[in-house]
Amino acid sequence: MKLSELKVGEEAVVKAVVGENKTIKRKLRDMGIIKGEKIKVEKIAPLGDPIEITIKGYKLSLRKNEAQMIEVEGI
Amino acid sequence: MKCRVAFAGNPNVGKTTLINAIAGANLKVGNWPGVTVEKKEADLVTKDMTLKLIDLPGTYSLSPYSIEEKIAREYLLEEKPDIVIDVVDSTNLQRNLYLTVQLMELEIPIVMALNIWDDFKEKGYRFDIEKFYELTGVRAIPTIATKGVGKEELLMMIQELCKTKEKPKMPKYSTVTEEFITRAMELIPSDFPYPKRWTAIKILEGEKDIIDKFPEPNRCMDLHEEFEKVFNDDAEGVIAEERYTYIASLIKQTLKSTEKRKKDLTDILDSIFLNRFLGIPIFIFMMYIVFKFTFDGSGPFIDWTDGFINGFIGKWTSAMLSGAPEWLQSLVIDGIIGGVGLVLTFVPLMFFLYFFLALLEESGYMARAAFVMDRAMRSIGLHGKSFIPLIIGFGCNVPSIYATRALENERDRKLTALLVPFMSCGARLPIYALFTAVFFKENQAGIVLLMYLIGIAVAIVVGLILKKTVFKGEVPPFVMELPPYRFPTGKMLWKSIASRTGAFVKKAGTVIAATMVLLWVVINIPYGAKPQDTILGKAAVAIAPVFKPAGFDDWRPVAALIPGTIAKEAVIGALGQVYDVQEEAEGEDKATTFNEDIKEQITGFFIAVKDSIRAMFTSIVPGVFEIETEKTPLQKKIKESFTPLSAFSYMVFCLLWIPCIVTLGAIYQEFGWKMVGGAIALTTITPYIVSTLIYQIGLLLGF
Repeated sequence: MKLSELKVGEEAVVKAVVGENKTIKRKLRDMGIIKGEKIKVEKIAPLGDPIEITIKGYKLSLRKNEAQMIEVEGI
Repeated sequence: MKCRVAFAGNPNVGKTTLINAIAGANLKVGNWPGVTVEKKEADLVTKDMTLKLIDLPGTYSLSPYSIEEKIAREYLLEEKPDIVIDVVDSTNLQRNLYLTVQLMELEIPIVMALNIWDDFKEKGYRFDIEKFYELTGVRAIPTIATKGVGKEELLMMIQELCKTKEKPKMPKYSTVTEEFITRAMELIPSDFPYPKRWTAIKILEGEKDIIDKFPEPNRCMDLHEEFEKVFNDDAEGVIAEERYTYIASLIKQTLKSTEKRKKDLTDILDSIFLNRFLGIPIFIFMMYIVFKFTFDGSGPFIDWTDGFINGFIGKWTSAMLSGAPEWLQSLVIDGIIGGVGLVLTFVPLMFFLYFFLALLEESGYMARAAFVMDRAMRSIGLHGKSFIPLIIGFGCNVPSIYATRALENERDRKLTALLVPFMSCGARLPIYALFTAVFFKENQAGIVLLMYLIGIAVAIVVGLILKKTVFKGEVPPFVMELPPYRFPTGKMLWKSIASRTGAFVKKAGTVIAATMVLLWVVINIPYGAKPQDTILGKAAVAIAPVFKPAGFDDWRPVAALIPGTIAKEAVIGALGQVYDVQEEAEGEDKATTFNEDIKEQITGFFIAVKDSIRAMFTSIVPGVFEIETEKTPLQKKIKESFTPLSAFSYMVFCLLWIPCIVTLGAIYQEFGWKMVGGAIALTTITPYIVSTLIYQIGLLLGF
């Protein structure tokens, strides 16, 4: 499952960060999105994109394109 | 003894506030060489040493991807500061330590400032500073930058470390990775200038920039590939995981929490500000407040400044120059004082704008605004935060260019700055007022509104075109932290306003003043000649035929465009001149003494303060700049030489054509000459095409 498919309030664990774009992948990793990390979808912006998640105890927002690169597993 | 101290840390951790607290007032602000990222430095002389403090741009990591990261990394690698102050948000240690670990790998002595210590304690956390030192070799000092708490201890620790140069311990990773690091270290030549372990990790990550510096790059690439094969994952991901695993073990041994996580203020505010239904209305309301307070609040001060420069300084200078030749008086009064004065009238505006921008930024709302608006803005290739400069542009394009600073990414900043001039600023209103009064009397408001809408529509189309051409390629990711809301302190706001306004006066003043003198020459030489015999007039006569497709090939409206670049409202005065309409003399000056004038200026200032406060808090509708109705002789001349269609075409041309000199000066200051060229080209070609289309289609439709 992809992070972009989660609904508001759902939690999941990161399985992998996939995709061709190395810059974005690296950025996501740097921000703490790594294997085994718990993610919770907090909000979706009023126009449907971007989304807000909680990871490592802080709030991060990212666009759906980027959320599609993050594979997760429900808990 | 000299010691260079670099401040590193994530964005929004209070790094700049802390360096301000330590360095006091002597912080110098400039730009990093070649880029427009702010560079702040300060020298601090203590009892036994001179400290040079350098504020690196805020970064989450030292990857060489964003400009900020590149600057920080290059400085640390190439300039090798003596020590690094790693400022961390203690309430968010897990992510903040990621940068700390990377700094440790660079083998530079580190002092860690555990900032925002008050919130940390309030949240029920405890941190074992001694244990952390034992594990990492890094000294940590609790600080509260906004209150100056901990700055003496930090300064003492800095001085001590400058002497001892104690290096941090190296982070330990998994056995397999450590084996690979050892193997990679064997590939590094003994005279390689960067830290060994750090370089080894770069080899494993397969970072081209570093590997290409080796005599045997292929062996490095082989090792990198083997590393990826063993872990069945890409190397950068593996290393990031290793670092976070190491951090997790550090946290486990040093951070204690009494677990009393309740819904905090940020959660409550976000449930309102980011609400599906309320989010956008609240954002629009916020923008309205910023817009209204900036323009209404600064208005009386702008008028006062204008009066002070032209009515006071100008008046007394001209009294002093009464014996000099007339052309010299004109050059000094109209060219130099008028030019510098024009720049100075923007100071109150910038001051108010920077205040509200700093307020949005420091409180944490700016990131929310980007979150709310990103979807809409991205469709024309912009970033969520681009909305703010564009809105400001309706008041005045100048502060709007500076407001692009709120955007972190260079691509987003440039694209936004290029679209700003299409936002119809207040100074264009008098032009619309004059022409609509002559040709569209019954429908004045509608036509003016149409001008604004044309500006927005053109910005959208040009944005789409630029996105597909010049700014083609990778859209920068929108991976942005939503920082907790914080209450901005007066000191923080003041620093931000003062340094930015000061930079505006200094740099923009010189460029713009010089250009104004040049324009004075073009418009007035040969001095005293008839308008069509001046340099400007001759040039206009030559160029005018080019504008035939757009409907105005008379040299006179064409000539009026040039002075329009000083300030858009100058088009009207210039039209008056080229059509040779006698302006009525303004009310005669009473003979007053110098002392009486000073007194008048001072009382005038206090009246401005009163008016400003009243304007901000009384009327609901922002009063941007009022529409002045011009005198009839000019209207008559205009009626003779334009048709309604060509007048409309001319208005659209004025709307879209080169913004004023001050805006170009701002673009130069923020982005350099290349962007000025780009902006001029864009705002010359676009209005030409649009005006021509309007005129030709209008002719076909029988207008």
